[in-house]
Parts: sequence; C-alpha cells; structure tokens
Amino acid sequence: MSVQPQIPPVENESLEDRLYTVRYDDPGDSHLDVKVADVCATCETNDCVKVCPANVWREGDDGVPTIAYENCLECSSCRFACTYDNVVWEYPKTGGGVTFKHG
Amino acid sequence: MSPERDVERDTRAERDTRSEPNYDDHFDAIVVGAGLAGSAAALTMADRDLEVLLIERGSSPGAKNVFGGVLYTPTIRELTDFETAPLERYVSERRFSMLSQDDETAVSLRPGAWHTEPHNDSYTVLRGDFDEWFAEQAVEKGTTLVTETTVTGLVRDGGRIVGVETDRPDGTIRAPYVVLAEGGNSLVSEGANLKSTETRENVAVAVKEVLEFPDTDDAIEDRFRLLEDAGASYHYFGEGAVGDAFGGGFIYTNEDTISVGVAYRIEDAVAANQSPEATLNAFKTHPAVAPLVRDARTVEYAAKTIPEGGAESVPELVHDGAAIVGDAAGLVLNNGVHLEGTNMAVESGYQAGRTIAEAAAAGRTDAGALASYPTALENSFVMKNLEHYDWLMTKAEADRELLFETLPRAFASAGTEYFRMDRDPKRVHEASAKRTVLDAVGGWVGAAKLAFRYRKVVT
Ligand SMILES: Cc1cc2nc3c(=O)[nH]c(=O)nc-3n(C[C@H](O)[C@H](O)[C@H](O)COP(=O)(O)OP(=O)(O)OC[C@H]3O[C@@H](n4cnc5c(N)ncnc54)[C@H](O)[C@@H]3O)c2cc1C
Ligand code: SF4
Ligand code: SF4
Repeated sequence: MSVQPQIPPVENESLEDRLYTVRYDDPGDSHLDVKVADVCATCETNDCVKVCPANVWREGDDGVPTIAYENCLECSSCRFACTYDNVVWEYPKTGGGVTFKHG
Repeated sequence: MSPERDVERDTRAERDTRSEPNYDDHFDAIVVGAGLAGSAAALTMADRDLEVLLIERGSSPGAKNVFGGVLYTPTIRELTDFETAPLERYVSERRFSMLSQDDETAVSLRPGAWHTEPHNDSYTVLRGDFDEWFAEQAVEKGTTLVTETTVTGLVRDGGRIVGVETDRPDGTIRAPYVVLAEGGNSLVSEGANLKSTETRENVAVAVKEVLEFPDTDDAIEDRFRLLEDAGASYHYFGEGAVGDAFGGGFIYTNEDTISVGVAYRIEDAVAANQSPEATLNAFKTHPAVAPLVRDARTVEYAAKTIPEGGAESVPELVHDGAAIVGDAAGLVLNNGVHLEGTNMAVESGYQAGRTIAEAAAAGRTDAGALASYPTALENSFVMKNLEHYDWLMTKAEADRELLFETLPRAFASAGTEYFRMDRDPKRVHEASAKRTVLDAVGGWVGAAKLAFRYRKVVT
C-alpha cells in the first residue's frame, strides 16, 4: 500500500479558463483607476494586486499598477484592500461589465 | 389607490427600459438594487399600494450577484408565492470540518426533521435564477423594474433625500422615499455620507466556483450521500481550508452542480502572499476535499466581498427620505458556524418597506417617521443575532492561532491517538489523547478559561 495520502488529482482550471466562464460586456473604458499615481509609486505593499482574484491589478514597471479592467469580477476587494484609499472604483456604465449566470 | 392609477401602472411596467421615459415624481419610492433586500422592500411597498421603482444595474436581477449559498427563507415564504421559487435542493445535512494540513475532524448533523417541509427553511439556490424570480414577484405586485441602470448618487433638497441620479439619459428621478439596497459595495450610500467605507478587517474576499461533473452520473448524490432533492452544506475551517487566515471554505450541493469556495478577511488575504484563486486551488486539493470535487469542470468562476463587521458596523438605518437595508447596512452574520445574510436582507427589506408604507399613509418622510424600521430590526432576529455574536468575532480573533491551527491539529492527533491500534491498552491511548487536547489549550486552567470565554455559544 502506498504511504502517500490518498489525494485524487484535482484539475484546477487556469485563471484564463475560469474567467472565460463569465460574460463580459465591455463598457468601453475602465471603471477602475488610481487616484494619485505617486501614491502607488511609493506604495510597497501593492495590496490591490495581492487581493484581486482575477489578476486585474498587475505590478507596473514604474511602481504604478496596470489595470486589465476587462477581467474584473466586480467583487470590490481591491477597493477595501488599499490602505491608502487610492483606488477609484465605479460601476461599469449602463449595466456593462461582468454577468454571472449562476451566482 | 384609484383605478386609473392601476391602469397606468400596468402600462408602465411594460415600458421599454432603454427608451427615455420621464420617471420624475411618478413614484412614491425608489429602491436601489434588485438583490434580496431590494426586491423584498419593493414587494412589500407595492403590496401596500405604493408606486415603486426598482433599479438594478445588471442586465437582470441577480446577474451581478454572488453568494455561497444557502438561502434562508422564513420571511420569503410568507411574502411570496414560494411554491414557484427556483430552488436547487433543501439542506438535509450540515457538516463542519476542521482541517489541518493533512487531517480532517468533522461534525455532521442530519436531523430527520429536515427532510420534511418546510425543510428548516434552508435551500441551496443560484442567485442568477433566484433573484430574477424574486424581483418578478415584486413586479407582479405592481413594482416597475428597470435594469441596466446604475444609480450614481442621491438627490437632496436641504438635508432631505428626494431622489436618485442615474446613468440613464434622463438622469435624475425624484421620489419621496429612497431605499438603499445596493449590497456590501455600497458606493451610493458611502458617496452620500450615509455610511463610512468599511475597513479591510471587517470585509472578507470570497472566490467561488460552480462545478459540474460531466462524465459522472449521480456524482453529487453518491459523494454527498443524498437522495432526490436533499442537499448538503459543508463548512471547513482551519489551516487546511484557508491557511492561517480568518475565514473558511464551503461546499454546497445544487441540483446538478456544486458550489465550492473560500472566504477570508481581506486583511489576511493581503498578508498571505497567496492570491485568493491559489487559496481556492489549495482548498480543492486538500485530501478531505479532493475526493468530493475530482473530475469536475468549472461552469462559473465568481468573486465577491462579504461585510462582516457585525452589529458595531451597522450605520444609521434611516435618514430624512431614505432607509438602508441588507448588506449595505452590514446585516450579515458570519462567525464560522453561521453564514447568514439572505434572511437578514429579506427581513430588513420587508421591515423598511412596511415602515415606509406607514409613513406614506401619514404623509411624512422625515427620519423620525421611519424610526419604526430600526426599532423593528432591533426587536427581530436580525439585530438580536448580530449583537449576540459580536463578542464571538472579537474573542475568536484573539484566539485565532489556537482556534484555526493548534486545535485542528490537536483534535486530529487526539483522534488518531484515541483510536490507535497497537498492543497498549485503550486507557493509555485515552490518557494520551486527552493530554494532547489539554496541552493545546493550556492545561485544565486553559480549558476552563476557554470554556468560559465561549460560554455564550451554548448558553
Ligand atoms: C461568497 C458569499 C457567500 C455567502 N453565502 C451565504 C449563504 O450561504 N447564506 C446566506 O444567507 N448568506 C450568504 N452570503 C451573504 C448574502 O449573500 C448577502 O447577505 C445577501 O445577498 C445580501 O443581499 P442584498 O440584497 O443586501 O445585497 P445584494 O445581494 O448584493 O444585492 C445588491 C443589488 O444591488 C445592485 N446594485 C448595487 N449598486 C447599485 C447601483 N448603484 N445601482 C443599481 N443597482 C445597484 C446589485 O447589482 C445587486 O443586484 C454570502 C455572501 C457571499 C459574498
Ligand atoms: S492602489 Fe493602493 S495598494 Fe495598489 S499600489 Fe496603489 S496605493 Fe498600493
Ligand atoms: S473588483 Fe475584484 S476582480 Fe475587480 S479589480 Fe477589484 S479585486 Fe479585482
């Protein structure tokens, strides 16, 4: 008998495949931004990047994160995570953005 | 209401929501958000003959909503034609597991009574279906629903709230009462200074997947030991669920999918240096969880925050011309054993709706005239439960390492010790098992202190 714990293989799909399961209606421009770029440039924690479950916030070269808003699941975590209150968070216009079928 | 208004109401309900009607001053009340709280409020007011406008930013009610989840239905059952509700399964088992890295120690409840109606008022649902149905119930009572419309701010006259700004072409809509039912990400209430933004210690990030088993018939029934429409609610805590964070994992059975997720405080999520997605992956591959989710395919990936500040975080619930309900008011009980917000959202929407109908009959919109809403909540299970458990979160936070790491490990090793097969007599194993648990809690004195700290859980 094997001495390894009996863990059946679980295939976790990639984030890309996961994001592909939700519909996204692009409202045209980003509903996310930073208030003051300089604050991000000096911010050392990048908590917005760490908390985001959809890899929307990404480390930028100049210390200011880049934002791939089309992946946003509208969970609002980044808004609460930033201790500098530097996240601009609006709802995508006219009902755009993510649509969950199941929720 | 006069008969003419009834006729007018019918035509209005069928208007194309994308045209540019002038809704200004047509309505007695505007509800922001067609989630559980908003639809409950709209339904309650429409039932009392108010003209209600329910505004939802998603393409349909529920399109933007995510939860675990089990819907708790004591109030909904009374408000609606509940027989027609899109339910997945009723909850026939609740199971709580402590996970260390490799071990599981679980307690499971399967009371026979849960198999019979009303099934302890606990059903798994999918919000995409359920919220649409619930909003439809409000529309059937006369509510006008507009979708794909975001409320961007409140309109004031002096201090009084007299309407909403929207991102529609016609923009402003005035009405004597506004119900804020916008959920935990309450941009409108915060923007209007009706509440402050929650700190990240009081908000959890949750990621969830709906999974199906494409190659296996009866996978759900077999793995969760279920028959017909019986369902299961599994909660997990400890380091095997979400590392050393404050939170846990969950699995709920739907009709032919399961919902699997993790939720933990944002404060801990940023400290963990592991993305929420990675935490979900780790949870799914825990030796106790993997057999339940193997060979599954992701149907939907979703994320959302949960306000969990408890009673202390509840803002002023009424203002001149406005009331706040549901998650926007922080009405969620999340203490590890209970995760309840749906029942509180519906109850608060119902109580606010009732109060506004009474105030409207008296011709008043001031906060004083709406005071019976907070009073009703205080006297209901909503605030009583929140207040009852506020202390628990504070204590549990202080005991966090003990509760989420030391104890799960100690219970697992005590259990292994207790049942150990060798040639020593049982007495030796029992003594050793007892010592393991006692050591973990700091001896008899520690155990007594712990029992005292958590006495309210049982008393
Ligand atoms: C991961 C997770 C698991 C959970 N599990 C459970 C569970 O198992 N059982 C349970 O009882 N509770 C659970 N909860 C809590 C429960 O989901 C909430 O308490 C409940 O959904 C709150 O209802 P609500 O109507 O207040 O808010 P929501 O359901 O969030 O509805 C708010 C609505 O307002 C809309 N909206 C927001 N802003 C605007 C705007 N500006 N203009 C127009 N529309 C707007 C939104 O699109 C949405 O439809 C869970 C929550 C989460 C996040
Ligand atoms: S948004 Fe906040 S957390 Fe993110 S980099 Fe800027 S300051 Fe830091
Ligand atoms: S709202 Fe959620 S998904 Fe969107 S960017 Fe913020 S953290 Fe990421």
